Amino acid sequence: MTILSIEGVRRKAQGARDVTSIPAANGISAALQPVSSIPAEDGISATLQPAPSIQYPVSSIQYRVSSIMYKIGQYIPGESIIHRLDPRVKIGFAVVLSILILKGEMLTAATISAFLVALIPISRLTPRHIAKALKPMLFFFVLLFMLHLFFTDGTPIPPFPSWRVTVTYEGLFKGAITTWQFILLILSASILTMTTSPTELVSGIERLLRPLKALKIPSHDIAIMISIALRFVPTFLEEIDRIKEAQMARGANFKTGPFIRRAKSAVSLLVPLVLSSFRRADELATAMEARGYRRGSRTYMRELSMARADYVAVVVMVSMTGLHFFQTPF
Amino acid sequence: MIRVEDLTFQYDMKEEPVLNQISVDIEAGAYVGVIGSNGCGKTTFVRHLDGLLLPTTGDVWVEGMNTKDPDAVQKIRQMVGMVFQNPDNQIVGMSVEEDVSFGPGNLRLPPSEIRKRVAESLEIVGMKKYAKRPPHSLSNGEKQLVAIAGVLAMAPKHIVFDEPTAYLDPSGQERVLDVIKKLNKQGITIIHVTHDMDEVARADEIFVMNEGRIVLKEKPAEVFLRVEWLKELGLGIPKVTELMWQLREMGRHVQTNVFTLEDACIELGDLLRD
Repeated sequence: MTILSIEGVRRKAQGARDVTSIPAANGISAALQPVSSIPAEDGISATLQPAPSIQYPVSSIQYRVSSIMYKIGQYIPGESIIHRLDPRVKIGFAVVLSILILKGEMLTAATISAFLVALIPISRLTPRHIAKALKPMLFFFVLLFMLHLFFTDGTPIPPFPSWRVTVTYEGLFKGAITTWQFILLILSASILTMTTSPTELVSGIERLLRPLKALKIPSHDIAIMISIALRFVPTFLEEIDRIKEAQMARGANFKTGPFIRRAKSAVSLLVPLVLSSFRRADELATAMEARGYRRGSRTYMRELSMARADYVAVVVMVSMTGLHFFQTPF
Repeated sequence: MIRVEDLTFQYDMKEEPVLNQISVDIEAGAYVGVIGSNGCGKTTFVRHLDGLLLPTTGDVWVEGMNTKDPDAVQKIRQMVGMVFQNPDNQIVGMSVEEDVSFGPGNLRLPPSEIRKRVAESLEIVGMKKYAKRPPHSLSNGEKQLVAIAGVLAMAPKHIVFDEPTAYLDPSGQERVLDVIKKLNKQGITIIHVTHDMDEVARADEIFVMNEGRIVLKEKPAEVFLRVEWLKELGLGIPKVTELMWQLREMGRHVQTNVFTLEDACIELGDLLRD
């Protein structure tokens, strides 16, 4: 706990230092002078600023945002056979499953459901992990179901139509199927990302894209782009938090008041964020260049290689596809 | 060795040059401090040393290769590593080891060699047990150590540190400075840009920069004698040296050529014994 709070002080002190260099957005520049004139080099003056009671809720918002982002399929380190599979095989599997799911065949969907459910214990994942992954999407699932339920033509279910609202058997059925399909999609993607570290995932994508070189698609550059984007997500969340605190210290209000005003105050968040991102991008590009980065081929620390389990997985994948086409020839 | 000949650099021909006729030699294995107030061209100068910027006129030679030669640039960047001010904005990888492997990967080394270098570099900076950690879980000091490891993995002969401690807390600063010292002992040339005179008190040579020129190239002992002149340039002297000057003003008989805490302890120890 002590360590945590010291960390917080350090971050805040740093925030205060950074803020002096961020141009304030419209309306806030008037308040800029008094704050930036505080000598911000020493962490003490920054932490002595009043209104810590305002700062804490902001931090908790940030942690909530970041935790939601991570919950959608965050990697859960483990040693299961699924974890150890070649990422290419897992990515390929997830893609094939998604296509099969979207084809919408009942029997295939049932097979895939059974398969995915079986994968959960094999991957050493608990139902809680899965619930965490699906929960942020709950609203979307409900919405999807409702849309089909109310807007499908067909035979009405008895008390309806009433109050100009109609619910049909077809709607109920279609809604259930579609929602089920989407749950399966999220589930298969979640199992992929929960058992594959981001590093492996990116190297898997890079390897899969390599043959596209013939079409002038630069797999290395795409891999670097994805990797940098993922690496900077937490950095940007921290940055948003810092800017928010800085603007609140200058009188910006992000929480109360009419919607329009709150939306406008978001501008004071966006402008510094965009500016600082450009500065970051510039510095990062320079640092990459200094470390010898150039377009074209490069080598990696680990090259992927297929083991026996990977070939078995490919066979399972092919036979599931075959089964689907066996059930529905075309 | 690095040879800078008559280097002039301007972003815009209509404006004053940012760097004006700089000529210096940096010997292999030396520890060079580069000091100067903000906007004097320190960063612009050191970015010429690995070809990130190219001279408008004049030349920069690294081990006999001209930075203007496009075929030599990759080799020069391997030889001259660069560590920047902001630790966050120089880390590319999603994990520490992946980031350290970025440089050697760009050099197209085989995977086994990359793994070996990553392990060795992380060992040198004392970050081996963090190899699998994501960068955002590290402190700024630790990130800077990772950045140094990333440079070391390219096996450079010279490393430029551009205000490496500016974003760090005291313990981070100490760890980074210790690593810099250690690398210099292993024979790597250090070019250390800083505001903090204490950091370069042990340098072999100090370049004092002002308005795009190197106005003085001397040993620290010579540089820090010119207290008034340094203050006019917006610079200072090491804190212990300042202490010695003040003691002397108070009429104490102390040496003023004391630049490090260790030397100050010896000097003041004598004084207290008297």
